[in-house]
Amino acid sequence: MIRLEKIHKSFGDHEVLKGITGHIPQGEVLAIIGPSGSGKSTLLRAINLLEVPTSGKVTIDGVCITEGRVDIGKIRSKVGMVFQQFNLFPHMTTLENVIYAPMKVKKLPEKEAVNLGKGLLAKVGLKDKANTYPPHLSGGQKQRAAIARALAMEPEAILFDEPTSALDPEVVKEVLNVIKDLAHTGITMVIVTHEMGFAREVADRVWFLDEGHLVEDSPSRTFFKAPQTKRAREFLEKVL
Amino acid sequence: MILLDFERIWPSVPYIVGGIPVTLAYTGVSLCLGFVWGMLLALCKVSHIKFLKWSAGFYTSVFRGTPLLLQLTLIYHAIPQLTGYSISIWEAGILTFTLNSGAYVSEHIRAGINGVDKGQMEAALSLGIPYSLIMKDIILPQAIRIILPSLVNEAIDLVKESSLISVIGGADILRRAVIVSSEKYLYFEPLLIAGLLYYVLILILTFAAQLIEKKLKTT
Repeated sequence: MIRLEKIHKSFGDHEVLKGITGHIPQGEVLAIIGPSGSGKSTLLRAINLLEVPTSGKVTIDGVCITEGRVDIGKIRSKVGMVFQQFNLFPHMTTLENVIYAPMKVKKLPEKEAVNLGKGLLAKVGLKDKANTYPPHLSGGQKQRAAIARALAMEPEAILFDEPTSALDPEVVKEVLNVIKDLAHTGITMVIVTHEMGFAREVADRVWFLDEGHLVEDSPSRTFFKAPQTKRAREFLEKVL
Repeated sequence: MILLDFERIWPSVPYIVGGIPVTLAYTGVSLCLGFVWGMLLALCKVSHIKFLKWSAGFYTSVFRGTPLLLQLTLIYHAIPQLTGYSISIWEAGILTFTLNSGAYVSEHIRAGINGVDKGQMEAALSLGIPYSLIMKDIILPQAIRIILPSLVNEAIDLVKESSLISVIGGADILRRAVIVSSEKYLYFEPLLIAGLLYYVLILILTFAAQLIEKKLKTT
């Protein structure tokens, strides 16, 4: 579903991604892990072109989005994203946050959108927060609302950019549980995370990045049991 | 020696007070038009189109870099000469104040747009929302909130600057005070009254600004 070919990305003189090639099939749950500064988030953000690669090709559903004239908005509405800092719209209620894009981008009638939104909020355990403004939500609630907002576009894939890194430890689990419930429901998931236990439990595959290289691409069971590369072994010894 | 002689100008006070609606009309209309114009300029400034960015920047630097009085007299005298259209005092005033205020407002709005967290734009983009809608529904509402206090300051400035219209003959508070002065050969008293009127207008605006700020803090 998502195919990356020789992705390079530089910020000024600093090359963050040094040629990453990989394939993420439909419905797969992929965890991208690696030390800080390895390029994980940049790679994730390259998938929906929040960072435009310096060179290389990103193909989604057979459409190359890094070349020529592509309606990037259309692609982005098929690939949702959940951010570390939630990025909810603070001047809209939780429900409005969820239904805004379906109504304005997909032109869903308001009644249907509200039904959809309420259903999704119930799914992430925020049924009673529909009319609350984001500044009055806790971190865990904000992130669950953000997940509902991404789901409202019924995307084929969701990109999670360190979804629990900004959360208090005691609410990490409630967010991870919501993400876990989404796994293997047909939606493709790419998760940049530092939660190794979670990656091990939920991910089908693991990409291990180091210094801008995709060092290891293994099924998660193999990766956590017996990493193939020395660098990944060292990393796991430190974090597990 | 009598220092102040209000008795003699007392009959003329209603005339000077009658300048308040004139001053407010110049201020209010220019403020609204200037806001719309400033918004357009600000959108040019944050756009990725180099030409728009440059033009809006140049425009702002010209209008901020020359005296307002010069702009006003230039527009009042140059337009008839260049186009043959005999521009009224009212039109010249509104046009000048709008063009000038737009330059300042555009800088405030630009700062406000840049002050909105970058994540807001990214989240909106990631949902596939088109740029125009992102600006209209997500970035600008937050930007305006941030800059509301500076917009009120702009209004306060404009109340005072609108007195320049008296130079080309607009019958605002200041102009009326000056007329009374020359009628009665009394300078201090009418100008004192004009000053008081401006001061009260601005106190009211400042009070409104404080209310708005308080309200913004609580929500």
